[in-house]
Amino acid sequence: MEINDKTMKALATSLNFRQMRQEIISSNIANSETPGYKAKRLDFEDALARALDVDGTLSMNTSNPGHYDVGGGGFSNLEPEITEDSNGPVSEDGNTVDRDKEMALMAENKILYDASVQLINKKLGMKKYLLNSER
Amino acid sequence: MDFLTSLKISSSGMNANRKRMAAISSNIANAEVTQTPEGGPYRRKEVVLGAEPARENFSEILEGELDEKAQTVHATEVISTNRPPILKYEPGNPHANAEGMVAYPNINTMEEMANMISASRAYEANISAFNTTKGMALKALDIGR
Repeated sequence: MEINDKTMKALATSLNFRQMRQEIISSNIANSETPGYKAKRLDFEDALARALDVDGTLSMNTSNPGHYDVGGGGFSNLEPEITEDSNGPVSEDGNTVDRDKEMALMAENKILYDASVQLINKKLGMKKYLLNSER
Repeated sequence: MDFLTSLKISSSGMNANRKRMAAISSNIANAEVTQTPEGGPYRRKEVVLGAEPARENFSEILEGELDEKAQTVHATEVISTNRPPILKYEPGNPHANAEGMVAYPNINTMEEMANMISASRAYEANISAFNTTKGMALKALDIGR
């Protein structure tokens, strides 16, 4: 059992991205009345799923240690996508921030962040249990 | 990319809305003022908001495309010039001109109240974002406990 296995890496990466998302949402809320500001979204779920590659369909097979592992990618070079939200209401000054929506997204983001932290703690708890089981 | 940036963004939002609030209260308090040290009636103040990149130092700016990243908000106070004062005929008023007309600031109190509610809600939204970020940062300290 590796200490830093795939699940751990995925959880750590998701913590990192949720933190970035929190930053983007804070920016949207702070600029909710700035003329011309466009609401921004950060998408990382697809990139994370590709890196996780749960069912193994996304990565190419490597039969030689010299082969590069293409497709699955890994966690080190994950890039989240920051886009402008195009389907929000546009106010007369060109601002597209829907403050209620941002608050809802922020709440969701926080809950899922806390969930990731809790899962990491559970994983660590299991490992601690294993380490103590010989005594 | 850390929580401090989020906190900085939220506090810039709070700061901007506090400035708006100050301008609005000044407008309401001075809605009937016909003489100011600068001369003439009080002129309505307005706060204009603008977005700017949250990253300031060089390495942060190099890291990513600027316009796509998180942005703070900054507020500048300006004196609105597009509203001529309202002239009222009050010959007894010491501020009246030769024709007995007194210039009053063109301030619509209802409009100011509406803006005030808007600023207050925006301020609250920023506080709530700030608190959520703080909660997440504190939660991260619980890892491994």
